[in-house]
Amino acid sequence: MNPPALRALLADSLTLWGVAGRVEIADDSIKIIAGEKVLHVTQAAPAEAPMRWWLISETRRRPAASMLGLLRSLRYALNATSAEPARARVAAPS
Amino acid sequence: MIPVSVITGFLGSGKTTLLRSVLRDPAYAGSAVIVNEWGDIGLDHELLETSEENLLGLANGCLCCATRGDLARTLIDLAARRRSGAVTYHRVLIETSGLADPAPILHTLLMDPSIAEDHRVEAVVTVVDALLGAETIARHPEAKQQAMLADRLLLSKTDLAPDTSALEGRLAALNPVAPILRAVQGVIPPDMLFASAARPETLQHWLEAIATPGARHSAGVETISILREEPLPAVVLPLFLEALAEHAGEKLLRMKGIIRVAEAPEKPAVLHGVRHVLHPIQWLEDWPSADRRSRLVLIGQGIPQWWPARLLEALEEEARA
Repeated sequence: MNPPALRALLADSLTLWGVAGRVEIADDSIKIIAGEKVLHVTQAAPAEAPMRWWLISETRRRPAASMLGLLRSLRYALNATSAEPARARVAAPS
Repeated sequence: MIPVSVITGFLGSGKTTLLRSVLRDPAYAGSAVIVNEWGDIGLDHELLETSEENLLGLANGCLCCATRGDLARTLIDLAARRRSGAVTYHRVLIETSGLADPAPILHTLLMDPSIAEDHRVEAVVTVVDALLGAETIARHPEAKQQAMLADRLLLSKTDLAPDTSALEGRLAALNPVAPILRAVQGVIPPDMLFASAARPETLQHWLEAIATPGARHSAGVETISILREEPLPAVVLPLFLEALAEHAGEKLLRMKGIIRVAEAPEKPAVLHGVRHVLHPIQWLEDWPSADRRSRLVLIGQGIPQWWPARLLEALEEEARA
């Protein structure tokens, strides 16, 4: 995923979660600044497979195996989770 | 499986009149009818000409909140009586109260395993008063919600409102995937209302509504359309739906889609969802038209226009890597 596309997706995600912040393309990462928090998203190296992404804060590095996992980690890191996280529920087959 | 349809619409929109007309059709005369009324004294069910044992009133509360449990119990009890031969019916029609939000009702119908065992949701029909509908939608969020969640919108009292173009425009902006039908003197062929929304012949309208990708906005409601030329790897679908539910579930009112899956491109997958609750994916034997692109419509509030498409691209790229 190229940096502009990743930046756009993450910026949209912040908007969706109601987080005031900005997303920038940095030298080797995508930088997310929201209030006091500064986070970086980088692509994992091929040798780190099955991990695809790293979410890096001042205190820790969290791996994610998919974009789904990355978004979930980012949302938690930004304290932007809703009171009752919705999970996809599939109705019984008819 | 017993088909269940929901008739909703704001107070005074003409739901009971419609139901009376439907029940006069021989094909629908044997329907079980559940009428939910708001208030201590129910009247609507008195106005319906159907057999006593097939008519049930749920008074003193709204189906979408206070009496959801009653709805479940009623349907389960009815089905048990049907199995024992005590009652005979081939479909269920539920008339909600005028203030009901259809979403929790659909949630109950779809997610309660005891109901889903015997029933399948067929269609949500929303009755809109042709004369007062625009003002009602502007003033009452319940009416707006009912319009947004409809599979079909039915204009009633059209004899009182010769020009409904403004109302139809408003309804199309709120819910571009629901056909707008008109009752003629309160009458409309019931099959036009209750044909399953997932049948190939009924897909065409909402497929036409998403001829162009992007988003349309109407007073806080966005309709976001996604078109994909290339088939999607099957693994992307559950990931996308999971992400959609997790991050946009609260803001997503309705979702419909027809997807060309790479592993079975000749058999399109039909998606239906209300908020974070998804109908099981239906696989059609063939495409309903020559257009074999994947198409998805999301109706929501506060979902960034390009977020779903960007997410889908990201997941697809991961799947192909």
